[in-house]
Amino acid sequence: MSEPFEAFGDVEDLAADLASPDATVRRLAVMALAETSDWQAVPHLVAAIADAAPEVREQAARALGEFDGRAVGEALARAVTDSVAAVAAAAAESLAELRDADAGGALLALVAHPSPFVRTAILRGLKALQIEASLQPAITALSDVEPAVRVQAVGVIGYLKRQETLPALIGAARDGSAEVRLAAVKALSFADQSAEAAAAVSAALKDAAWEVRAAAAETLGRLGVSSASPALVAALADELWQVRQKALQNLGRLRAREALPAIIALLGDDNPSLRKDAAAALGEIADPASREALATRAQDADPDVRKTVAWALGRL
Amino acid sequence: MIASASAKAPNEEARLPIAYTPTTLPVVVDEAKCIADKGCTVCVDVCPLDVLRISDLTGKAYMKYDECWYCMPCETDCPTGAVTVNIPYLLR
Amino acid sequence: MDDITDGLTEVSCDILVIGGGTAGPMAAYKAKRRNPQARVVLLEKANVKRSGAIAMGMDGLNNAVVPGYATPEQYTKEITIANDGICDQAPVFKYASRCFDIIQELDSFGIRFQKTENGDYDVKKVHHLGTYVLPMPNGDTVKRALYRQLRREQILISNRYMATRLLTGRDGEIAGAIAVNTRTAEFLVLRAKAVILCAGAAGRLGLPQSGYLWGTYENATNSGDGYAMAYHAGAGLANLECYQINPLIKDYNGPACAYVAGPFGAYTTNSEGRRFIECDYWSGQMMQEFYSELQSGKGPVFLKLNHLHSDTIGKIEAILHTVERPSRGRFHENRGTDYRERMVEMHISEIGFCSGHSASGVFVDEFARTTVTGLYAAGDMASVPHNYMLGAFTNGAVAGEHAAEFAAGRDLPDYDPSDVEQERARVLAPTRRDDGIPPNQIEYKARRMVNDYLQPPKVTAKMKLGQERLAEVREDLEGAMVARDAHELLRSLEVASILDCADMAAAASLFRTESRWGLYHYRVDHPEKNDADWFCHSILRKQDGRMMLEKRPVAPYIVPIEDEERSAYDRQRIRESA
Repeated sequence: MSEPFEAFGDVEDLAADLASPDATVRRLAVMALAETSDWQAVPHLVAAIADAAPEVREQAARALGEFDGRAVGEALARAVTDSVAAVAAAAAESLAELRDADAGGALLALVAHPSPFVRTAILRGLKALQIEASLQPAITALSDVEPAVRVQAVGVIGYLKRQETLPALIGAARDGSAEVRLAAVKALSFADQSAEAAAAVSAALKDAAWEVRAAAAETLGRLGVSSASPALVAALADELWQVRQKALQNLGRLRAREALPAIIALLGDDNPSLRKDAAAALGEIADPASREALATRAQDADPDVRKTVAWALGRL
Repeated sequence: MIASASAKAPNEEARLPIAYTPTTLPVVVDEAKCIADKGCTVCVDVCPLDVLRISDLTGKAYMKYDECWYCMPCETDCPTGAVTVNIPYLLR
Repeated sequence: MDDITDGLTEVSCDILVIGGGTAGPMAAYKAKRRNPQARVVLLEKANVKRSGAIAMGMDGLNNAVVPGYATPEQYTKEITIANDGICDQAPVFKYASRCFDIIQELDSFGIRFQKTENGDYDVKKVHHLGTYVLPMPNGDTVKRALYRQLRREQILISNRYMATRLLTGRDGEIAGAIAVNTRTAEFLVLRAKAVILCAGAAGRLGLPQSGYLWGTYENATNSGDGYAMAYHAGAGLANLECYQINPLIKDYNGPACAYVAGPFGAYTTNSEGRRFIECDYWSGQMMQEFYSELQSGKGPVFLKLNHLHSDTIGKIEAILHTVERPSRGRFHENRGTDYRERMVEMHISEIGFCSGHSASGVFVDEFARTTVTGLYAAGDMASVPHNYMLGAFTNGAVAGEHAAEFAAGRDLPDYDPSDVEQERARVLAPTRRDDGIPPNQIEYKARRMVNDYLQPPKVTAKMKLGQERLAEVREDLEGAMVARDAHELLRSLEVASILDCADMAAAASLFRTESRWGLYHYRVDHPEKNDADWFCHSILRKQDGRMMLEKRPVAPYIVPIEDEERSAYDRQRIRESA
């Protein structure tokens, strides 16, 4: 009779295979150790990070992602500097899974590592840990030569949501790299009612990259600063409909009464998604002055537009 | 890859003998990469439909039953990248 | 492996969970956390590591009730309306109130939800009604994270055992289950004080248009075993005529995940590239509109993404081609379909039972209790409507906690050993034959009959003919099916579940002599909704060996629905026919 319950074997027995001369056997041992989910397996997996065969190190780096804590953080910090790219990549993925603040020390030690890949992975790992100690290194990293590093640095700062980091994030919103500006514009969302954040984000509505412009519209809606409305109204004339749509949505969110004429004009747009969001914005603003304009779209050819118009009329 | 659906010869006296019906198998294993002969059973373990087996002859994994949901754990979880899941012919 | 071996083992536990997909692992985990002394067994016919609807993870939550975005009252109201009012609100409200805690707990397990650049949940607003979408771009790790928790809680996991029947005690209360090893055919009798059924949808009921038995919308392992077991144990099953029918990528037969692509601006259109769906809620009414458009001169139906920016499409692809049904990408590639250029042809799925998307399930109350003492159910097979993945997790948690307390005050019930003997004879019958009909042919025929006679539009005379044809298939199944190895035996047992579900689908559909839930229960010869006679649940159960049906009143609402809101559907219908 086969055993009815899954048996995972004794950790020490499984670890014995780590001494095999055959790298494939050692790799399978790493997989079996990870499968136990047993914390006793950690020291063996940490040791396997120093294995001679890269496929074993890669497997160990992946396996450590199932665990957490200081020893795991130290082993992964070592693996992320591995000369074999596949090992370093596996370690980078596992670093991003760490949640235990105890792992932070090992990561912080590598924030200035010569390899941009390592610096990126380390900051990505630090982001989720949300530890105070990573704030200053992240601000420093905003000046890193590598955009990918600066993106992660913005993430670390954004996750901590500190009022005093606003100048740093505002600076990043003007970064030379669109990816960094995008992250910074999104990260500024926490600065509820901040006029200086709103000013910086309003400027980003004219960014060369459309995704930054779209994100800026979104952030302005979240910031809730009503003085940002004119900039959003201007964005209703953006060359890309995706940006115009975000501007519409967030003018609604800001209940921007002064935007009514511009929004009403978009009720007649060719693009049904814009007509729908124009109607939705008018519903959010709920000014009776828009009743007549909304009523003209009650028989729109697009069902989503009709439904949104009906909803909006119900709110006036 | 084409396989026979039956492992047993039809019984001559049977009222309803069972035929060998050919079918193309969506899951393909690269035997050069497969490490089942060293004790790996990952793809066999993770298949929800339980259609993979390790061959007694080659020691490598293969698709034994054409009952595939093309869901891909076998390919994703294979440690050596030996498994490929194709879309079954009938719904390509 | 696969040789048929004679053997029987008996084990005892406090709580037995059947099904290791989504609800099951959470139920087992919560039962053990509630009572760490309890012996908790999780039984799974595949392997818990990669089983069930979320074998490859999930790309997002579409019913997340997150504070600040939606309220439990609002959610309960929308689900009530989407179900044409036939909804016991207590379990829905409980789900809505608890699911945010579950999200946070899943997060702590290492399951990743999309966060903003400020580390908050990035909930997507889909429409003005409620905001429930929370993407999971790294949702491929769900199963691994769950598995890790199960290992650490020392849950006893039994993989590759298929439960075939529940055991009941002298007073009809639950006493355990009988299971068969899918690779050796050995039996396992599991005695238990409480049993939680989490065996998933009946997704292998209709036959996909491709004709490939395994090309189903649901994970093809979900053959309705839970529905069949609950039925044979005497539990009530609710609203089975409210089938599951879902939109999907034609031929691939998997979800297009409009709710993933929707927040990015994608939508469903007809062949003219125009939107056509009037209905606000995912419901049978929406599927009726989908079906009508497919059949109309403006058909077929497409998912439209080609108006989106190439960068946006790249992001959508990154999700859709790595999580839940990642072979979608491979399917499109074979056909040379690029979302940037061509719209994706869509269709509707074969029928099934699944409360995850509709409302057909084993009847449960707000504690996940079925009508059989000690038997619980959660996930796609329990009657909480539209509960999706997060509902499976949340209601699984509810079931696990309640079952742990129930079991703590109880002795292990006795079962009748002759029940086990009878079940062994039933299960092994196909292995005792030297020749006969293999399970795949019996299955194909049964499911083809389901398509021909039971799928909507439902016609009384056709459904009655379908019952005759299915009875003939049953004769073959009971008298001529042959299984040559343990794997074929597994398939033969699944076919028995499928046939039980087909019989239930026919009986439940014939019982409700009205139309309701849009396409799900559209009866051509009873085309009107009839609230006077049918504002109630239908409950199907086995009594004295026979299938019987009865009405059960809808529990008084705890969240009132205004007449105006209640009639929203009917107004949409009028517009449709106008």
